[in-house]
Amino acid sequence: GNMAEGGHYYNEHDDRAGAPYRGRKGQGSHRARSYGEGPRRDRTRGGHQANYTGPGPRSRLDDMDADVTMSDNSQDGTSQRRSKPYSRPYRRGDGRFDRDRRGGRGGGGYKGDGGGGGRGGGGGGGNSRAKQTCGAETLILVFQIPHGRKYDKKWLMTALQNICSVPFNPVNYNVDNYRAHFYVDDVATATALHKCSHKITDADGYKVEVHMNASGPPAFLQSDLKPEDLELLKQCMGKRFDGSQQALDLNTLRTDPELVSQNIDVILNRKTTMEAVIKIIEKEIPELVSLNLSNNRIQKLDDLSNLVGKVPNLKTLNLSNNELKSDRELDKIKGLKLGELWLEKNPLSNSFKDQASYIRSVTPQTDGQDLPPPIVFDVETPTVIPACKGSCFGSDEIKAIILRFLQQYYSIYDSGDRQSLLDAYHDGASLSMMTPYSTQNPSRSSLGEYHKDSRNLKRVKDTTLRYRLLKHTRLNVVAFLNELPKTQHDTASFNVDVNTYTVLTTCLFSSVTVEGKSRDSTMAFSRVFVTVPAGNSGLCIVNDQLFIRMATTEEIRKAFVAPAPTPSSSPVPTLTAPQQEMLSAFSLESVQPQVRHTYWYWWECRKVLSFSL
Amino acid sequence: MEPGVFGCFGPSPAVPGPSDFKTHADQSCRYAEEFVNIYYDCMDKKRRNLTRLYLDKSTLVWNGNTVSGQDALNEFYETLPSSEFQVYTLDCQPVHEQATQGQTTILVVSCGVVKFEGNKQRFFNQNFLLTAQATPNSEQPVWKIASDCFRFQDWQS
Repeated sequence: GNMAEGGHYYNEHDDRAGAPYRGRKGQGSHRARSYGEGPRRDRTRGGHQANYTGPGPRSRLDDMDADVTMSDNSQDGTSQRRSKPYSRPYRRGDGRFDRDRRGGRGGGGYKGDGGGGGRGGGGGGGNSRAKQTCGAETLILVFQIPHGRKYDKKWLMTALQNICSVPFNPVNYNVDNYRAHFYVDDVATATALHKCSHKITDADGYKVEVHMNASGPPAFLQSDLKPEDLELLKQCMGKRFDGSQQALDLNTLRTDPELVSQNIDVILNRKTTMEAVIKIIEKEIPELVSLNLSNNRIQKLDDLSNLVGKVPNLKTLNLSNNELKSDRELDKIKGLKLGELWLEKNPLSNSFKDQASYIRSVTPQTDGQDLPPPIVFDVETPTVIPACKGSCFGSDEIKAIILRFLQQYYSIYDSGDRQSLLDAYHDGASLSMMTPYSTQNPSRSSLGEYHKDSRNLKRVKDTTLRYRLLKHTRLNVVAFLNELPKTQHDTASFNVDVNTYTVLTTCLFSSVTVEGKSRDSTMAFSRVFVTVPAGNSGLCIVNDQLFIRMATTEEIRKAFVAPAPTPSSSPVPTLTAPQQEMLSAFSLESVQPQVRHTYWYWWECRKVLSFSL
Repeated sequence: MEPGVFGCFGPSPAVPGPSDFKTHADQSCRYAEEFVNIYYDCMDKKRRNLTRLYLDKSTLVWNGNTVSGQDALNEFYETLPSSEFQVYTLDCQPVHEQATQGQTTILVVSCGVVKFEGNKQRFFNQNFLLTAQATPNSEQPVWKIASDCFRFQDWQS
């Protein structure tokens, strides 16, 4: 009976048993359907040509099912109707999938998945196969009920549903030879169903086994669309067509509610579906001007190239948010002579070295005609950062005050006695400092002097220690500053960034300081002062935060550019000409007396005055 | 951590009184740490939400460029390439009450490295003034950035 025929069938197709099914007609169509269309079936039944006749095959299916199932449930066609969109007649050469041999799985999708472990005809549905994923497509989980053929489908489904914790909808329930097969398409349901194995006892006293395989989408999901589906697709496309603009919007077509509600799977990265869409365009709207195919997981443009010559008015093509990987794809549609081509959010844009070559590559061949190149919209993410500028004072008034303040501050700071800095600080001022974590032995460099006071919250976690490292009140602040090593700053080139908030001004600046003759003693720092107004034109420091690190080679190089000044006992470092100039720029006379805010500023010293100890 | 309301973080039932400097200092550390996490996480992964952390009229000084107000900040951060920040050092201080006329404010200073897409990795220094804004319906204040100053360490190269 069936077995023999099945055997015959198998012999016929054995050589294909393990072969990848990809490319039999493009995108890996499968023949995973085994339902009812067993070897007894006349394979030429309505399937080879595209003229599907709905009822025809189905009635045969009904017959078949009536033969093999014991209930009459399938005869009402409901099960078939459920699988209606997916059942697919044979194409030439597409034979029945060797389901029994391989556990009847749908070809494993694009990876040529061979299906379930070699089960014999008799239904030991052992899932020895590892699950395979199917690339871009969803995972479809196949269930097989060995000996399921003998069960009343309704009985079986009901029994399963009764014990299954998750409601499930078996897709494409069918029976072949000895097994019943159906699909579910989400893992949660599949897992719950799988647990139902051996939980139901049939009338013969045997436990019903429920075997699960993962699979790529079976053939019936990847098949050509049936005529009625094509009609629905056409209607759907019609609704997405704007006649006034001659624009067709197929963005994310797959999720179109009309298609989804009819269980029509329109996946444009499948050759068959894209072909169908192209044909509809050719036939119905050849005057198309604008076509949007974004968000359709399109990987290849082979089918789209069929539009060349068929849609002469097409000027705009949107292929953004797809999966085009190679610029060679674009070659296929050069003939379209587009004016605009949208390609962002495709992997392919990464393969171009620069925008120019990208644009060049999509410029259509014009046979010598001078057409303007298409406008390629490839909205890359920005990679240009704004240009860095120097000091940002906000106004000349502020600048004068701040520079004056800093000059005074640092002349004291570098003098060897910082006590008089008390006047610069608010009573309730705070100071803390931090050094970067360094793998270098800290004691070898001057930076080591600062490590013990480093209040890096990323490293110091103890609350008490954190508090101790924060110097509070100006007395403590200045006492601490007095303990720090003697320094020499270059006040000449300070880079100061000023920002204000109410009466507060923050000032970020960085500087290079030398504390000794050796390279190890050249450090750089960034400092933040937060100040409030004081007096007429003064500043009063409320917060002082100091970050000290080793100077970079570049900074050191620049630091020692200035010639060594003659030693001087004056606490004020000898000024170079530019420095003199700067100082005179804000002599007391030029300082505006009306100052409402105090400003903090950071100076960045680029040069260090070298000195002899 | 994800603040329930952007800009609001840290379960601070009440702003400590002026005499309680230590509490203020301790809490500031917590706020600073949380803030830095949120800020750089937003900067790197949810850039569109970043400006919600700023006061309406706050100003950012970014490598010498001044960016003022929400609109300008939105535009600035939109065109700024995507970023990967790593903060290596972090410090904070409460800003003295007298200076802020009672509005709780903290200074946060961070240093680290940043890689903007298409650019080399660079060291940066950044400081913020964060201010606690009272909300009418809640005991918890909403913290917002009042001022933000950012500069590459090697901005000249």
